[in-house]
Amino acid sequence: MPPRTGERERCVTGIDGLDTILYGGIPRANTVLLTGSCGTGKTSLALEFLIHGAMKDENSLFVSVTENSDKLLSNIMPYKFFDRNLLKSGKLVFVDLPVMYERLGMTKAELSMEEIDLLVAAITSLVKELGTRRLVVDSITSVCYKLKTPEKIRDFILKLSKSLTDFECTSILVSEIAAQTIAYSMYGVEEAIADGIVLMANMERRGDLLRTLQVIKMRGTQHSRAKYVLDLTPMGVLLVPLLKGGSVGT
Amino acid sequence: MSDANTAAGIATRLSEMPAASAVSLQMSVDNYLEVLRGTLDLFAGRKGMDTIYVTSTISYEAIRRVLQALDIDTSRIYFVDCISHIMMGASSAQRDDHVTLVESPTMLENLMLKVEYLIRSSQSPNKLVVIDSINSLAIHNNNWILSEFLHILVSGLRVREAYTVILSVEEHSTPELNNMVNLVCDQGVRVNKDGVS
Repeated sequence: MPPRTGERERCVTGIDGLDTILYGGIPRANTVLLTGSCGTGKTSLALEFLIHGAMKDENSLFVSVTENSDKLLSNIMPYKFFDRNLLKSGKLVFVDLPVMYERLGMTKAELSMEEIDLLVAAITSLVKELGTRRLVVDSITSVCYKLKTPEKIRDFILKLSKSLTDFECTSILVSEIAAQTIAYSMYGVEEAIADGIVLMANMERRGDLLRTLQVIKMRGTQHSRAKYVLDLTPMGVLLVPLLKGGSVGT
Repeated sequence: MSDANTAAGIATRLSEMPAASAVSLQMSVDNYLEVLRGTLDLFAGRKGMDTIYVTSTISYEAIRRVLQALDIDTSRIYFVDCISHIMMGASSAQRDDHVTLVESPTMLENLMLKVEYLIRSSQSPNKLVVIDSINSLAIHNNNWILSEFLHILVSGLRVREAYTVILSVEEHSTPELNNMVNLVCDQGVRVNKDGVS
């Protein structure tokens, strides 16, 4: 769907249902918090966003914090549209953050303010060097474990978000929350800073567990606020509207 | 009317429909085999269509056995089976790429997602989606959600230019169910001992 006159340029995610929900895609250079509990499909959706970007010639970078890149790669192999050449050509790049910590000498359990600046500079420098247009950090929650205080978390996300925006890089920060949580992030800070929030959840209805997706906010565009049910398939994420007749009000 | 004539009559009626039509096919219990023959063999088979057969009535294995007994080619029929899993009888389906399971007929959104996936996977320009049947889905779902489901499913299939055939069993139908199906369908076909009307 092309943007309407006067609207911001879009980063078309390539996930049909999500692009429809967002009236054409994520506004370019937005920082989006993709939040949800375990098993809701956050990493799969984030990976698909990057693969579609790489396929459209947009350099894409996955910064993995919790899982080893090789293990992640084995998870994306079933995608019918995934082409291994995207990795060879450098269109799709995986970086393990623990390796970056080690190289930067960040061995302590808690990062200082100076180290936060160093970490932001290191990620920004990578984005600049690779000409990254799409970035995923999976997960920002794991990075926040090393920051400890809300002030440091706010400082880190604000600085990172600003740097990425300066480079016209559209980014997804994956956030982990406990099941049935009312907040959109673990520390309550991330959600206030992000330009957009996409909430993924497991919804139980009469004993059935449905994977759902809902866009809570997205600066720079109109969007649907309805809840959708999703399926993770070899053709990527598919979405259909949640049937209201069966809604239990959650 | 002979069984062969009934099956041919069903295929003729379906062939007269424009592309992307949705058809309500109400049958008597006794005409199930002719409906399968007319819809899957004489209509979809001869037109070279891929068929997505959604069953919530009996398992895909049972339907496939019937089709094989009728000597109907099943190579282009893809089943979305909403009943085998809750009957704990789905083990062989895991290895069959012509079968997709939905855990329960109450998971109507997942049913739509599986149909969507198969529609996207199909290489055929012509596709048929058969819902067997609205009566069995009504056992597991209330009319509100079923009505909403039909509306969204059929509208989506129209956009994809797929034919939709919604089966219902005359003996088990209610005026509410008939109204619900008629609301989303372009045309109705009735099959009983008197023939096709």
